[in-house]
Amino acid sequence: MPPLARFLIRRVLLAVLMAWGITLVTFVLTNLVPGDPVAANLGQRALGDPAIVAQWRAEHGLDKPLWQQYLLHLQGLVQGDLGTSQQSHRPVSQDLAEFVPATLELAGAAILVSLVLGVAFGVVAALRRDRLSDHALRVLSLIGISVPTFWLALVAFYVFFYRLQITPGSGRVDAALGGAPYVTGLQTVDAVLAGRWDIFSSAVGHLITPALVLALYTIGLLTRFTRSAVLEVLGQDYVRAARAKGLPGRTILFRYVLRSALVPIITVAGLAFGSLLSGTVLVEAIFAWPGVGQYAYKSATTLDLPAVMGVGLVVGIVYLVINLVVDVLYGVIDPRVRLQ
Amino acid sequence: MATRSQTAAVLLAGALALAACGSGGTSQAPAASGAKTLVIDTSFDLKTADPGRTYEPTGLIVGKAVYETLLTFDGADVTKPVPALAESYELSEDGKTLTLKLKQGATFADGSPVTADDVVFSLTRVRDMKGTPSFLLDGVEVAKTDDTTITLTSEAANPALPFILPNPALGILNSKVAKQNGATADAQDKAEQYLNANSAGSGPYTIESFNVSSQVTLKANPKYYGTKPAYDKVVIRNVEAATQKLNVQRGDSQVALNLSGDQVTGMPATLQVEKTASANVIFLLANQDSAISKTTPNAKFVEAVRKGVDYAGLLELAGEGSTQAPGVIPSQILGALPADQGAKRDVEGAKAALAASGLSNPTVKLEYPSELTVNGLSFQPLAERIQANLKEVGITVDLQPAPVTTALDNYRNGKEEMGLWYWGPDYPDPSDYLAFLPGKTVGLRAGWKEGAAKEIEEAGAKAAETIGDDARKTAYADVQTKLNASGPFIPLIQPGQNIVTAASVTGLEYHPVWTVDVADLGVK
Repeated sequence: MPPLARFLIRRVLLAVLMAWGITLVTFVLTNLVPGDPVAANLGQRALGDPAIVAQWRAEHGLDKPLWQQYLLHLQGLVQGDLGTSQQSHRPVSQDLAEFVPATLELAGAAILVSLVLGVAFGVVAALRRDRLSDHALRVLSLIGISVPTFWLALVAFYVFFYRLQITPGSGRVDAALGGAPYVTGLQTVDAVLAGRWDIFSSAVGHLITPALVLALYTIGLLTRFTRSAVLEVLGQDYVRAARAKGLPGRTILFRYVLRSALVPIITVAGLAFGSLLSGTVLVEAIFAWPGVGQYAYKSATTLDLPAVMGVGLVVGIVYLVINLVVDVLYGVIDPRVRLQ
Repeated sequence: MATRSQTAAVLLAGALALAACGSGGTSQAPAASGAKTLVIDTSFDLKTADPGRTYEPTGLIVGKAVYETLLTFDGADVTKPVPALAESYELSEDGKTLTLKLKQGATFADGSPVTADDVVFSLTRVRDMKGTPSFLLDGVEVAKTDDTTITLTSEAANPALPFILPNPALGILNSKVAKQNGATADAQDKAEQYLNANSAGSGPYTIESFNVSSQVTLKANPKYYGTKPAYDKVVIRNVEAATQKLNVQRGDSQVALNLSGDQVTGMPATLQVEKTASANVIFLLANQDSAISKTTPNAKFVEAVRKGVDYAGLLELAGEGSTQAPGVIPSQILGALPADQGAKRDVEGAKAALAASGLSNPTVKLEYPSELTVNGLSFQPLAERIQANLKEVGITVDLQPAPVTTALDNYRNGKEEMGLWYWGPDYPDPSDYLAFLPGKTVGLRAGWKEGAAKEIEEAGAKAAETIGDDARKTAYADVQTKLNASGPFIPLIQPGQNIVTAASVTGLEYHPVWTVDVADLGVK
């Protein structure tokens, strides 16, 4: 078997094992939370009626011992059943299919912007080391890293939406437009598929502020890492040699410098995507963005255990996939990694 | 060093990316105001659009718009039920039988007529499905006497029934459509998924889309036989209170339902602010179970607390629209005590009562939900204020905040020494407040077992069977006066409900059951 394939198979098997670990951890943690989901989900009156309470418990499998509940949960997962949400009374998988794409669209837009701007800024700062533009970009990245995202979200919403009136308001699209028919769950993509350009432009408009707010932190992070990675490569002998041979600057930058700097950049980008996901919880709340962050928050506060476990699983798997992708990219970029 | 052109190339790439993202921002979403769309922002408390399972505030707004009930209330007046799908009703002299005549010509959204069979099926389903609102019809038999007459028979006198029937949970379903989609009148019912996506009602609106966490869209029912609503489309969105304020000010929404007293001060004159006391009553409870506390069962201690609280100060905290609660029954509901009967602060009297209690420098634990807000009012500052008030009297209050899901456990199991909670009406009838009596739902949470206060229990039993508005008013006032004199509850305040609407919206009234009737809203 070629080393790359072996490397891939090992990585995927490890990921599956970790996915199982995630189910165990989320299940245990969720059930450790003090408080009774019955009290959180039934009205005060209904709580006084033992028949209603008993039926609710039975309906949600809470009358069984914990280990049985876990086995049932696991059995469901294998069959692709994440259980039924206690708050929406719908299959958790169906809820997630609706909310996860909204978050991915937001986080995806943010990471895209971050990669383009962060890498660009980092390269510029490195190439113009110790000049005014370098200092300016470093200050900017420091600000991006230090400012709390939720505060920035509030300020951005207030300034751009309310004061300057240049961005649209809450949600993913204009309330009157409704939304494109569900295909991928990504509003921009679904709008294009349906040929609804009004929805598309509204969706893109609604994406800008929250995505930029989310991106600011990762832009800062990527700028700093790219700068130092590029600087390190620029100081290497082979770059100096290439320059001495008279290779054009563009060739040196793209073929030598960026390629070598890519490994640390990918690492940081992968980690940054993870932090983006957690950042979305508050940003979603402020922009009334119907994503998985809002769903997770509501599930947690109503002790909707199946939904909490579903979110935990999905977020865990997203992290796993990102790590997998990062690992694989290492393998592709740097053949030495495959052999380890 | 890099050449100038390299730098330029990289910068250009970045600028292009920015420009690509920026293009949508300036092209503002098309104006929504042309079509008659109403956007309502609210913090969602929503689980279902199945009327038989609806219990949460946002669900009741949806239910009211999509389904019709036998009786309803006119505007915000909840003291007199009026006909809706029933054209008239009559309660028998013993209070056990309610006879309703069905209105002719009412139709469901699919055009089929509303029949007595639909009524019997819908009400029986709510009762026997054992969903959260099923207690509304506990012990009530529903029968059809002929094609236009329905009788509701209760085992005991049930004068509250006409006040219960307007609850959107008792909305009438198109039984044929519902049955085709899994509805049964027992716990096996499977119609909820269908009802969350479709409407099987006869109301002025139908459901276009329904999402429990983000947005509900209603569209006008083209087959509605009554007065057509003013808005073709109503969008109800889940929005945080702080954002709600900016949205309505900017004109992105026309109604904001959840602003606190603080948030509505200084609203521009172009917006209308409706400030009323909500029907939620915030109260203190002092546990009467001596196994839970050696202090709180002492009647003189309770008296000291009642006299020690600074009610006016709490109102200041709660902000505009709030009022003191003179008894457990809120001001909107029949039988509420007049405002001047509310407890007043009397520090000397409180100290005297504490001295008479035989307790010296007592310390009590006060439990409350830390992150719960009622009408935008948080429990934390209230609890702190009460702590300071009682300190002056000589009572040390040890604050024990907990997340609501955790705090509810102790409250529900009657394990709190003192508790700070609220009660919102399940239905706007004073009988709902009999829950505060010994041996009943809230009474038990205060460790108040059946037989603990004979006189109050007798007054309660009498009030429950009294028929006729005036006689009921007197009976329930009597129950509350007795509760205030020697019960374990100290009613504090009704926080204000502040609703902000755009200047163009007319006809908004705060309703204690369904908050707002969207079909009543007009366009100026």
